[in-house]
Amino acid sequence: MNIRLKLATIFLPLGLIIAAVPENTTKVYKLTAAELLVEVQEGAQFMSTDEIADMVVQKDPSFQLIDVRAQDEFEKFHLPNAINIPLADILSDEWADFLDQDVKMNVFYSNGNLKSNEAWMITRQLGFENNYVMQGGLNYWAETIMDPKAPVSTSPDDEIAKYDFRKGASMALGGGAVSSTTSKKKSPKPVIKRKKKKKRAAGGC
Amino acid sequence: MGPLIVNEIISPETNLFLAFLIGIGFGFVLESSGFSSSRKLAGMFYGYDTTVLKVFFTAAITALLGMLFGSLFGWVDLSLIYINPTYLHSAIVGGVIMGAGFIMGGFCPGTAFCAISIGKLDALAFIGGLFLGILAFTEGYPLFEELYKAEFMGTPTINEFFGLTRGIFSFVLIAAAFAMFWVGEWAEKKFPREEY
Repeated sequence: MNIRLKLATIFLPLGLIIAAVPENTTKVYKLTAAELLVEVQEGAQFMSTDEIADMVVQKDPSFQLIDVRAQDEFEKFHLPNAINIPLADILSDEWADFLDQDVKMNVFYSNGNLKSNEAWMITRQLGFENNYVMQGGLNYWAETIMDPKAPVSTSPDDEIAKYDFRKGASMALGGGAVSSTTSKKKSPKPVIKRKKKKKRAAGGC
Repeated sequence: MGPLIVNEIISPETNLFLAFLIGIGFGFVLESSGFSSSRKLAGMFYGYDTTVLKVFFTAAITALLGMLFGSLFGWVDLSLIYINPTYLHSAIVGGVIMGAGFIMGGFCPGTAFCAISIGKLDALAFIGGLFLGILAFTEGYPLFEELYKAEFMGTPTINEFFGLTRGIFSFVLIAAAFAMFWVGEWAEKKFPREEY
């Protein structure tokens, strides 16, 4: 038996097996339920409204606000430079480039915590990095940033410093009176730039 | 080294170092299996020696089965594998130039460097021509740019093009490879050469 026949007796059956089994389409880097539970309990996905207000005021280019509410709610009011990815569309290919990347920091927000946290859990389960949740959502944003309550004069210094920052951020972001007035203003639609597809590892002959 | 660099387990420098070691191993095996002889390589086109066909197709179907079984067992994420993008016209023109150079010179670029390492003068001439070609292409790039970028097709794979699954296409390819090996060995008997 020559070498060609020997090789053929190994390769052809292996080829038949490969032809018969379905393709494996599962993602390798999926989180297990237990791993996700640990992350949820840690709550490391949450970012405070103060941190976010600071980045919005500073026009930090390294982060992206993502509004996961429905489109009509988004059109009524949204945070500056936010983009709208309704929760129902989160799995569509159109947004894959935004959600699955490791360049920018994505911060999901909705009215409360619920929808944004759901968005985070879905993307995290898919193994996407760099997605976060605005703690308390827009309700808490309105309470703390747009309309901060002055602390009593006996408060510790850092409480007062926090209030001063919030007051400043509120002025910079057009707060004072919340969403009801801002909703009348025309908010410019953000220009959505498509990011390039995630590059595969380069190689060649 | 695919999985290591993508997951940032090793640095790009270590990656280059590993490539260096793999390159030495590749060159060593290439030389020791006789691929530094231009007569052996050109024999492919005249039919008296089809080692090139057998070696490269065996390598291809081995790697193919390795990747597909790796994917089946969940060891390899095929969506992260680099696929060379297809520019149809430049691929055809480049293939013709490469093939003509292969017949005339008796080397492909890799084997030419393999042969020059053992001091072959024909390989030296071949590599001289190779550098002239690189120079002509880069200097004349504005002339070729339109052809170079024509008919961009993204990164299609042949099985997608024919609408087959990966597995079935692989089986067909493996069967075709063994059919070619059989034809190759028949040609070696049909057009023998005493010394080359």
